[in-house]
Amino acid sequence: MDIVVSVKTNLDLQMIRIKNREPVLEAIPYKTGDLDKNAVEAALQLRDAVGDSKVIALTVAESNRKVRETIKEVLAMGADEAVLIVDPALESTDQAGVARTLAAALQKIGSYDLVLFGEGSSDDYSGQVGPRVAELLGVPQIGYARKITAGGAGVLVERSMDEFIETLEAPLPAVLTVVSEINEPRIPSLMNIMKAGKKPTEEWSLADLGLDPAAVASSCETLSNLAEEQDRKHVMLEGGAVDQAAGLVNALLKEGILGR
Amino acid sequence: MDFRYSTEQELFRQGVREWATKNLEPRARQIDKDEDGIPEDIVQGLVDLGVFGVTIPEELGGCAVPGEELIYAMIAVHEIARADLSMSTPVYTLLTIGWSYIVNKFGTQQLREEVLPAAAAGKAFVGINTTEPGGGSDLARIKTTGFKSDGHYVLNGEKAYVSGPKECMKLGAPSGHCSLVVTDPSTGHKGLTFIYIPAHLDGISWTVYEDMGRMGLSTGGWLYKDAKVPEYCLLGEEGKGFYHVMEGFNAARVLVAAACLGGAEKGLEISAEYSTQRKMFGRPLIKYEATSFEMVNDWMQLDMLKLNLLRGAWMIGYESQNPGTFSRKDINKVIATVKCLSPTLGHEVARHGMMYHGAFGYTKETPLEMMLRGIMSYEVGAEGGLNVMRGIIARDLWGEAANPFRADD
Repeated sequence: MDIVVSVKTNLDLQMIRIKNREPVLEAIPYKTGDLDKNAVEAALQLRDAVGDSKVIALTVAESNRKVRETIKEVLAMGADEAVLIVDPALESTDQAGVARTLAAALQKIGSYDLVLFGEGSSDDYSGQVGPRVAELLGVPQIGYARKITAGGAGVLVERSMDEFIETLEAPLPAVLTVVSEINEPRIPSLMNIMKAGKKPTEEWSLADLGLDPAAVASSCETLSNLAEEQDRKHVMLEGGAVDQAAGLVNALLKEGILGR
Repeated sequence: MDFRYSTEQELFRQGVREWATKNLEPRARQIDKDEDGIPEDIVQGLVDLGVFGVTIPEELGGCAVPGEELIYAMIAVHEIARADLSMSTPVYTLLTIGWSYIVNKFGTQQLREEVLPAAAAGKAFVGINTTEPGGGSDLARIKTTGFKSDGHYVLNGEKAYVSGPKECMKLGAPSGHCSLVVTDPSTGHKGLTFIYIPAHLDGISWTVYEDMGRMGLSTGGWLYKDAKVPEYCLLGEEGKGFYHVMEGFNAARVLVAAACLGGAEKGLEISAEYSTQRKMFGRPLIKYEATSFEMVNDWMQLDMLKLNLLRGAWMIGYESQNPGTFSRKDINKVIATVKCLSPTLGHEVARHGMMYHGAFGYTKETPLEMMLRGIMSYEVGAEGGLNVMRGIIARDLWGEAANPFRADD
């Protein structure tokens, strides 16, 4: 089974400071997306369970995103090969452009049975890219996978929905997105870190994929990326614990949060 | 020139940090309290990351990067110390990986094959026991003898203040210690030989002391009565033990400093966080320069020492790959500097942090008191006392006139 995992290199969000309601992006290190590591781990476990399989890590980035370094983490985790799509035109792309690039790269890779994504990226978290790629390739897609096993028509997937779990099967090839509960990504050992640099890594530009820069240009304009602000009510409950508990229940009833 | 870690070194650092923060840090207090060694799952976690293999070649079960062994070891110990401020786990780890480096360098093929794969797998403890009841700084005058007879070194004598007796017993053979014994009493320090003493030979008995700190690692003494150490346990050349053990101490001192600096780094973070939140007289404690300037002083020392430690670890590795680049004196001075200043800095950071925390700092609710107890072991002596470091620097700067280790006779 040939498994391709899409991984995105993000700025390390924990290192970003906010100044005057704008993020300060100076000297922030890049890192592999958290959910992307779940997707990698899922791919590695599936590869080892099925046997005679390989895992290819696929990433798309503009030139300065340091993906040659960050991809080593994924190779150190155990991916067998990497394909990097690096092009200056990707600086100003969006989810649609990234999906077109990934779809073209998958067609150039040619042989793939499963394509895995995290359910969303650590920075934008739009959750669009996986489904868009499936549509572009015309293959089945299953989102929010919490368990993946080879079997049935090709692959059996438990989906984590908010209030229930749905089990689906799909023929191969298929596109899956995974949720964080699917596994705990492994931490690479030094032995595997040292092997990572020797694994086959291909680097392609948009031209290598037959894509024009205009095909990946963003059609969206960001007007604001601030979180929604909520005014807090600052209600202080008086009295002992029993009175406070009763007060809390009353307040929640009044807000319509309890007793719906 | 580049002062940054390589991508591989940085990935390893991040991995050890992630693992230790999640798995070791929440257990550190319990390890100190239980006085029952480092839990097996903690050791296994470190084995899985490759930590116990950083100084051992791949063909012997390790994952050493030639020339960068001590850099990877330093990174690992620094990160482990951040997570276990009692110093139990970092010291347990640094002893085995530091002295495995020396067994690999000086050991016979048979010894290397016996000890190193087990050490890399976390199945053997490897330590150092040169100190005797009469002292450890004046190594040239040790008394334990190891006269050669019938293919063995026959040991008689006593070693004291040694880390790891319980650990050797728990893990079993081939656990043991690198040691210095007198093989030719007529020639002073030129009659000393460096050998590996497997802890489980007949004629060896041991005892355990009650320590002040790093309670997750035992300290004790060894008594040798006609204990026969096989000849293949020789490290380096007979009669050159004094010089070999000094080289071993340089490697171990890199890692001791790494433990102290990792602890200091974390201790400063704890103090900065607390003094930012804690308000007195209407403003955060950190606004008072008595607090922040003292923390800055500690930080400045920390930053300089981290850089100098990296330099020392790099020098040893570079010299191993490019012999003749640095003299022994060049390396000694850098390593002695960091071994002299890092334990004191760690102690001061812990003590200052306790002061910022007030009465809270004196309780076991913060890890600062166990850090203070643990790091003191490196001030009083282990891997060379602070004034022995000063003596090394004086000797290697100003020559025999300033050498405090040689009597005027």
